[in-house]
Amino acid sequence: MSKVGLIIKREYSARVKKRSFLLITALVPLLVAGLVFLAMWFSIQETKQLNVLVVDPADLCHGKVFVGNEENPPAIFSFVQEDISLDDFQHNETYNRFDLMLGIHSNVITNKGIKGFYREPVLPKAEYYIKDKIELRLEEYFALDAGISLTEYREIRQEFNFHMASIDPDAQDMTYARWVGIVFSTLIFLFIYIYASQVTHGVLEEKTSRIVEILVSSVKPFQLMIGKIVGIGLVGLTQFAIWIVLIGFSLFFMREFVFQDILDPEVLAEAMSNAGNLTTDAMNGGGTQIMKDSALIDVIYNGIPWSTLLFLFLIYFIGGYLLFGAIFAIVGAAVDSETDSHQAMLPVQLVVIFIYVIGCFVVFNPSGATAMWLSQIPFTSPFIMLQRISAGAVHYTELILSLVLLAAAIFVTLKGAAKVYRTGILMYGKKASWKEIFRWLRYSN
Amino acid sequence: MEVLRVENIVKQYAGHTALDNISIGTKKGEIFGLLGPNGAGKTTLIRVINQIIGPDSGKVFLDDKPILPADVAKIGYLPEERGLYKKMKVYDQVMYFARLKGMGKHEAKQKIDYWFEKFEITSWYNKKVEELSKGMAQKIQFIITVLHEPQLLILDEPFSGFDPINAQLIRNEILDLKKKGTSILLSTHNMNSVEEICDSIALIDQSKLILNGKLADVKKEFKSNTYAIQFKGMMFGFANALFADFSLEHSEQIDENRAVAYVKLLKGNTLNHLLKTVMPVVEIESINEVIPSMNDVFIQAVQGTKGGDDE
Repeated sequence: MSKVGLIIKREYSARVKKRSFLLITALVPLLVAGLVFLAMWFSIQETKQLNVLVVDPADLCHGKVFVGNEENPPAIFSFVQEDISLDDFQHNETYNRFDLMLGIHSNVITNKGIKGFYREPVLPKAEYYIKDKIELRLEEYFALDAGISLTEYREIRQEFNFHMASIDPDAQDMTYARWVGIVFSTLIFLFIYIYASQVTHGVLEEKTSRIVEILVSSVKPFQLMIGKIVGIGLVGLTQFAIWIVLIGFSLFFMREFVFQDILDPEVLAEAMSNAGNLTTDAMNGGGTQIMKDSALIDVIYNGIPWSTLLFLFLIYFIGGYLLFGAIFAIVGAAVDSETDSHQAMLPVQLVVIFIYVIGCFVVFNPSGATAMWLSQIPFTSPFIMLQRISAGAVHYTELILSLVLLAAAIFVTLKGAAKVYRTGILMYGKKASWKEIFRWLRYSN
Repeated sequence: MEVLRVENIVKQYAGHTALDNISIGTKKGEIFGLLGPNGAGKTTLIRVINQIIGPDSGKVFLDDKPILPADVAKIGYLPEERGLYKKMKVYDQVMYFARLKGMGKHEAKQKIDYWFEKFEITSWYNKKVEELSKGMAQKIQFIITVLHEPQLLILDEPFSGFDPINAQLIRNEILDLKKKGTSILLSTHNMNSVEEICDSIALIDQSKLILNGKLADVKKEFKSNTYAIQFKGMMFGFANALFADFSLEHSEQIDENRAVAYVKLLKGNTLNHLLKTVMPVVEIESINEVIPSMNDVFIQAVQGTKGGDDE
């Protein structure tokens, strides 16, 4: 085995055998699975009742929407004939009590378009209920208009195009898929933050205990540094892999045993064929309904390109980790004690946190110029790119450019870090100043 | 043939010169003492030899060939400030360092067993280093240094941290390795050890080489023409007889009628003159030339005040 291989092996096995590693590796997936379960559960249980104002100038729906005798329905409808401007709905006190304004224009018969404006995002369950009731009424109307029976109409029916948007034009729209982008960014942030910080501690351990003196008489400082960074990185990847397996297993378990109705293809197929019988279906609260009710569940099992995201997560995690790992190695080499290291790590950690926070805002405008630039700059791209990808806002040429830039930055940073590391690890008794670090960078030997 | 030869090494840092044209060499089976006050440049020189840092100019030769990165396997280095991984098991740790020196697993295991059995510490294999005392850890470090049977052993303060018994054990091991042909570069402030085991020495002060040669020759160079005379008779009479040709450095009374006087010959006087001068007043029992201790040599050399009138 090469010397770097030996160092990697030692760094790796010393860490994965620690009790804290085993504990965190086992507990976090349980915690995540628990939280996901709760989120999915509550997304079904949610019962807030919406006040819906239906703006219906052509008087197509008033008194004709069949709401049945459901107790405590997800939405209550009110109707007005006069046109209401968005501004009025937003600011006029008369409409304050309404959560949602639904516009049914007289030309709905031709364009099949229905627009809704909400004050706060509508829960999937309520949204489904509203669509269901309004569609049902309009279908009746269309059938009458065409002079055919409802059954005949359903054979030729076309889907309505419901479009829901915030009444506030500045409000940003979010989809679950984008949240997944944030989750991945957060994971990258956490892994880089935790494991790159461990590089500093690892370097410092060898420096303060003077093991480094023995080590550098056997291996080159660069081998030592790269072995340490890679070894610790592999610990992170191992932990991540175990988490993915355990979380994947938990999701599988939930699908098979807890939410099994929701995802059974047979139930789904039956629901499709019964599309005409939506009213009963909705009132019965069958499995298909829950499926449609919870976009979250749908997104988790069907809506996310897991394999692509996982693959790119690995690439950007490795890239970002190498980049920041090298910087954290510099910090470890430049200081002389654990106490100093906390102080010296702080600016770097703050930068990482700052980039992550910026990344959380990118999710609102993943196609914007800021997002585009940040997903190219090597120090920010690992945190930003996955969000843009999960929002579907990235062309593959951008992805390639971003990865090339990241690789180049890793090369330059590792080279610089090696120079600082080589000098720093053998400097005892004082903390190196920035001036000194820059001077070490210029040393050729 | 010299195992290690260092030629005209210069190493400069931003604010100061750490090594100023240093040249030394050690032969096969020789213990070479590298001496000097703190901050003189010894550690820098050792790091240059270990290829941890490169010199600005000058060359290092191992077996008459310019030293190469692969030669780290031929060198064993025990640094002054040495540590081990606290949480790692003793056996794993020694194996790790042996492998880093390029040893195969099987070979390393045999050597580890040999040394641990020799030191009677095989029961430590599965102990974590944090469970060991400082002296125990030092033993492990010594084993790590010699395990790969290096041609050149560089020991920086090897006896520090050991109790007298273990220091003796290590001393014997060093002498044993010397017998087997290992060249040993010993850096220490312990002048007694230097006197006991070094064949040659080099003294570096303020980054310059100020002494270099066989231990006996160096000491001879620092002789101050002083003799220790043990006699029977009165000290008063002895001192009076000396006049201006000799200087009584100091004296020790052995009993009422016997003493040892340390007398320095002045102005080209010989021992014969001294004897002629004092024989009439006292009865001489023994006479020895005073050879300076390494401690004296060190202090004098560093202070730049070599003894004797010949200066």
